[in-house]
Amino acid sequence: MEDKFDCIVIGGGVAGLAAAMTLARNNMKFLLIEKGEFPGSKNVSGGVLWGSDLNKLVPNYWEEEDGGWDRFINHRRLTFMDEQSSFSLDFKSSHFNEKPYTGVVVLRSKFDNWLAGKVQEAIDASDFAMDSFIATDIKVDEVILENDKAVGIKTGEDEFYADSVIIAEGVNNLLTRQVGLQDKYVPADHMLTGIKEIIRFDQKVLEDRFQLNGLSGMSNEFVGWATNGIEGGGFLYTNRDTISLGLVLGLKDLREKKQKPYDVLNHFKQHPTIADAIKGGEVVEYSAHVVSSGDSRVMPKELYKDGILLVGEAANLLMNAGKAIQGMDYAMRSGILAAETIVEAKAKNDYTSAILKEYRKKMDDSYVMKDIKGFQDAVHLLHTDVMQNKVPNLVCDFGRQFFSIKNEPTPKSEKMLLGAVKRHSSLWELAKLGFKARKSL
Amino acid sequence: MKLLSLPERLGLVSYRNQAKSEIKPHIIVDTDICNSTCPHKCTTWVCPANCYTMDEAGKVHFQVEDCIECGTCMYACDQGAVDWNFPDPEIGRGVTWNFG
Repeated sequence: MEDKFDCIVIGGGVAGLAAAMTLARNNMKFLLIEKGEFPGSKNVSGGVLWGSDLNKLVPNYWEEEDGGWDRFINHRRLTFMDEQSSFSLDFKSSHFNEKPYTGVVVLRSKFDNWLAGKVQEAIDASDFAMDSFIATDIKVDEVILENDKAVGIKTGEDEFYADSVIIAEGVNNLLTRQVGLQDKYVPADHMLTGIKEIIRFDQKVLEDRFQLNGLSGMSNEFVGWATNGIEGGGFLYTNRDTISLGLVLGLKDLREKKQKPYDVLNHFKQHPTIADAIKGGEVVEYSAHVVSSGDSRVMPKELYKDGILLVGEAANLLMNAGKAIQGMDYAMRSGILAAETIVEAKAKNDYTSAILKEYRKKMDDSYVMKDIKGFQDAVHLLHTDVMQNKVPNLVCDFGRQFFSIKNEPTPKSEKMLLGAVKRHSSLWELAKLGFKARKSL
Repeated sequence: MKLLSLPERLGLVSYRNQAKSEIKPHIIVDTDICNSTCPHKCTTWVCPANCYTMDEAGKVHFQVEDCIECGTCMYACDQGAVDWNFPDPEIGRGVTWNFG
């Protein structure tokens, strides 16, 4: 079979493109298939791409006049909310201005398309400039299995053959289920629905409002009143001349509490802190995307089988352990490691699990699996009622007293704090929380 | 800032194959299940695009045209009523995000 590829990558998101870039650089003959009109056209994220792996894929990407990214993060904020107040942990540092940046805000329709352009450049420079392709507008119907080993893919009447398949199809992982790496039905227990609005401003207004300098940006996460009692949280990220404002809402909780996600988003937008932040803006897009919580119980049974590797959200590689919502960086690293494994498999001419299991090992040795394993308790803790409701209310209650100057004798802060604790929780509950937090964070 | 209604929000979405009168639905819902044995009918509130609606008689109806391919219903429905797939690029609906 002359037309056979070394690898077929299914999906042109961050994971698939990272894999494709690595394959191209290693002179592999591959086909990347994207179902959208162009890579990125069906992709949605919050979204901050954390860490510096992007610099490995596209060295010195910041030198480009108009690269695919929107802003680099040098200002981070975690906000606790009650109905009237917001109490923030706020950190801004010029340390984060140094390159490579440790987080960039991206809009996927633009970013993924840009990254795909870089992959095409790598293809053009490879030995298979005429034989490797990025193909769009093609939906893969199934992975073709022979003796339970992947040998290609089927799309409509057409079939394409390859020694290996990297599944980078995203969170709605139908092919992962088809090949038996995940159950046919995945329950809602550890899944959340993300919804988001892109709100446009005059760029100068945006930069002044959020104190941005050049291409610097801010990321802000919210917990408490934002989600109207539904487990989850909110986010606000600054793009070039828009902001990404949204919520991530626990699907099981949404189901049980009978709330509509778009109503909760309007609830969030009416908080005085948010209303002031978005004043004068114009909504230009509304989108939604399911994510996993980072609970490892929802991950596929394995990340590989004969001829197949799973990368990115297809393997539910995403986690929010309280510091940041990480997903795109896990996608990027897993894509790179998967492709490197395929390169090794080609050298040994063995694409069975015997070699592909090395991908699992690489992942286990990487920060991705180390963090997912190491922070499971933090993921669970973050989704408790204490962290979701009691702590935000307590913190805001304390803040309101602490920052009130009333021209009357002021109680000591400790007394204020104890009062707030008693109104919203108890010392015993907080002691337990503190103990758990110390171990899990 | 004025809050948007859901139809206003969906009005901002770029759907594919809008000019085509006949599209192939990418999600098939067995509403007989919704309307007989389902104890919650949760898709009628969890769907971010309100593709699932309940009429005055409490019956669930589904339309695929507004779907933004998020996958919420596939996970939320634990009754086996939702057969979810990605839209066909040529004859399906689905989205092309301008920002994403």
